[in-house]
Amino acid sequence: MTSMTEKSAGLSARVHVKVDNTSDDPRQREELILGDNNFSTITDRVTDLAFRRTPLAWYVAFAISLSLLGLLGVCVIYLLTTGVGVWGNNVPVAWAFDIVNFVFWVGIGHAGTLISAILFLFRQNWRTSINRFAEAMTIFAVMCAGLFPALHVGRPWLAYWLFPIPNQMAMWPQARSPLLWDVFAVSTYATVSMLFWYVGMIPDLATLRDRAKGRVAQVVYGLFALGWNGSSRCWHRFERAYLLLAALATPLVLSVHSVVSFDFAVAQLPGWHTTVFPPYFVAGAVFGGFAMVLTLAVPARQWFGLKEIITMRHLENMCKIMLGTGLIVAYAYGIEFFTAWYSGEHYEQFAFLNRATGPYAWAYGVMVFCNVCAPQLLWFKKCRTNIWVILFCAMCVNVGMWFERFVIIVTSLHRDFVPGSWGMYMPTWVDLGMLAGSFGLFFTLFLLFCRFLPMVAMAEVKTVMPAAHATHGPDRYDYQPDPDPVPPTLPKSH
Amino acid sequence: MRSYRRTTIRSTDRLRLGPGAKAMFNRCVAVALAGGVAAVAGSMYAQDSYRRFMLAYVTAFAFVLSLSLGGLFFVLIQHLTRAGWSVLVRRPAEILAANLGLTAVLFLPIAGAVAIGGGEVYPWAGGGAHAVAAKAAAEAQPVQAHEDGHALEAGAAQAGGHGKEGGHEERLAKKRAYLNPPFFLLRWVGYFALWGGLGYWYWRSSSKQDASGDHRLTVRMETLAGPALLLFGLTITFGAIDLLMSLDPHWYSTIFGVYYFAGSAVAVLAALIVIFAGLQRAGYLAQSITVEHYHDLGKMLFGFVFFWGYIAFSQYMLIWYANIPETTGWFRTRGATTVAADINGWTWVGLMLVIGNFVLPFVGLLSRHVKRYRPTLVFWAGWLLVMHYLDLLWLVMPEFGPQLTLGVVEIGVLAWVAGLYLAGAVYLAGKHDLAPSRDPRLPESLAFENM
Repeated sequence: MTSMTEKSAGLSARVHVKVDNTSDDPRQREELILGDNNFSTITDRVTDLAFRRTPLAWYVAFAISLSLLGLLGVCVIYLLTTGVGVWGNNVPVAWAFDIVNFVFWVGIGHAGTLISAILFLFRQNWRTSINRFAEAMTIFAVMCAGLFPALHVGRPWLAYWLFPIPNQMAMWPQARSPLLWDVFAVSTYATVSMLFWYVGMIPDLATLRDRAKGRVAQVVYGLFALGWNGSSRCWHRFERAYLLLAALATPLVLSVHSVVSFDFAVAQLPGWHTTVFPPYFVAGAVFGGFAMVLTLAVPARQWFGLKEIITMRHLENMCKIMLGTGLIVAYAYGIEFFTAWYSGEHYEQFAFLNRATGPYAWAYGVMVFCNVCAPQLLWFKKCRTNIWVILFCAMCVNVGMWFERFVIIVTSLHRDFVPGSWGMYMPTWVDLGMLAGSFGLFFTLFLLFCRFLPMVAMAEVKTVMPAAHATHGPDRYDYQPDPDPVPPTLPKSH
Repeated sequence: MRSYRRTTIRSTDRLRLGPGAKAMFNRCVAVALAGGVAAVAGSMYAQDSYRRFMLAYVTAFAFVLSLSLGGLFFVLIQHLTRAGWSVLVRRPAEILAANLGLTAVLFLPIAGAVAIGGGEVYPWAGGGAHAVAAKAAAEAQPVQAHEDGHALEAGAAQAGGHGKEGGHEERLAKKRAYLNPPFFLLRWVGYFALWGGLGYWYWRSSSKQDASGDHRLTVRMETLAGPALLLFGLTITFGAIDLLMSLDPHWYSTIFGVYYFAGSAVAVLAALIVIFAGLQRAGYLAQSITVEHYHDLGKMLFGFVFFWGYIAFSQYMLIWYANIPETTGWFRTRGATTVAADINGWTWVGLMLVIGNFVLPFVGLLSRHVKRYRPTLVFWAGWLLVMHYLDLLWLVMPEFGPQLTLGVVEIGVLAWVAGLYLAGAVYLAGKHDLAPSRDPRLPESLAFENM
């Protein structure tokens, strides 16, 4: 562990030409990649992660994740052999940890899609350093999410009944149910995210193929590189496909969590039935997703020596997005309260008062502190550029966004219209075990990804480096300051 | 540091409105006068003329306000994101935002209507009995339709907020703390102080930079953009609730502020495209603004058309699906239903919005070629401005009655308000350059290319 930190510290000390790229001076754009890096050092740095000896820290982290994954396995087997009654949810709180975890994990995924698709369309070039692992995070988060509804159906081996497959029993899914829309929304999302991630990775997989020493690695990377040979025809097709996938993935950022919000908002239950839910859920998902990206990015850049590629500017930008989406979430909390009062409806007003002052007031307090209060630190640049403050805020948001779903789902259900049917919810050890276990699944997959796949999109990072635009001439609009517009070694007429 | 071949706007490009401004100003005032005369004359022959005139006025005011607020949003978001491409297209948005001062003056008739407490326009503003009487008169027709023995759904909706006069009063009383004339007027003073202040300050700072070229002005504008956007988000929400949602004081929808914001964003982007097409045709900024800038404005327009559709769908679908009488009444007034008895003149406007404000422009603006060809882009921008007005009409006028009212009164009032509004904008535009000519990010905008 110590040797690891020393090593990375040594690495960054070697090349620090410039450390601070967080200036917002409008006369000059800051560089996105620091140090004396060029195309080949970027390739070296990223591919080394996959080929050099696995650091001890990785094994430690992997062991912890794997044990949590084991816990998940135990819980799932116990659940399947006994029945969903081992969970704490029961009437009146018929949805609890299962749906809370589902919404939480689906939300986490949104940051990846936003970074890879929307920021791409917005020409936010800083995304190139973080998009690969954010996309990986998306896919693993969706896998964790899918687990819970699949288990909640009780007999997951019949989960294919959710799809409208012609059958002799003439049994069709209920197309009016938003739960069915979820099936399509989430599976579409998983498919497109996976495709997007994979397509973007092809040039980098080819790089790994070319650098791999072992026969197995060469064959496996080669298989997935789909015969990429770096010709301009390859690049042309690649760029086209990437743009189209970005355009297709963009509505998915909105649609998935909107459909998830419909699960609640179409109901007549006060606290669930509110029209602002779709955009509010989307903002919340991006908010929580960026918190997770930061949670992963801060240690990753430290341990893997990527500080020059994932710079302070990248972290600061992510903090800004987190602050912005967090404010949208705070706006939604506020407008819900105001409208509950404004509606003049008794049950609406009670649902929200009960949230803030009822038996689950502590959960509401945690949510408000973590999602509304803590992120306000990020208004200050000093905080946005201090990794401890960033980590504190990101951790708060991770916790807060989980509690938000808990508050929405459990507090709305536990006291509905008739006081006679009120009740309380307590999670069982299986509930808690599965929540912890889902983190095990997530981190196991993520650590495997860090170890075996290109963690940074090398090919894309190179496109935002000044050298990539050396031959374009001064009239070309770029985002990068260009210290040496036309190197004498290259032909001027491009 | 990156070097650009061109760091200033070409000297051959006309940057000042110059003597043309006077003629444009006069034309706007003439349109306003003609509109005002037509509106007054038209409402003399209209039934219930005061209410109709005032509701038409609220519609027209909401329209020009959305242009200004959209302009303010555009300016703030460009500064917040430190955008480079948009420098050349920012000034007209700054002018629309600075025009919020005049918009405050245009608000006075509405303020007056609330202050005299008639309750004809805003039912909560009058004494309770007066409001209920006005409401009952407006609802005479659907009630009759109900008596004809039509669908039960109508009865269900009726039992909610609208028909039951006792519950009506009682519920309004609960909202008195918010919906009362003094607090309403106080809020609007606050909104306009903030909006007008921000709009003026951004326009002033940016035009000061034309002379000084001081990059610290940009830094200041960028620093303020974050907090300003936060306040903007809150005030546009409550502004929309006050101006439009409270026309039916019983109805509530948490997404309503976002709905008005989405429409405003569409409107300002469409307006910017139309404005630049007009300016360039008249020979201003002919070389500096290129197809690339239109393309980007077109992309944003496309995005916000989608966003509007998404918000409108969310609001309608969730209320339709839950089918709670407390909230369905508002859509019933607007004819957004399949219940035969409730279909009225507004049904067709609602359908028109689905098709004309979402489906058609979505398909129309999808292609890159459409966005990069000025005539097609300008067509869709103009189309969307018309649709935006219809959207506001559909929000406001059904409170007057179930018949579609789009006649000489509405169009006259729109011409009057929009004419005055544009005259103000032209006056402001004539005072400074038509583009931030010494913005530190100007070279990026001049050299901007999409592909």
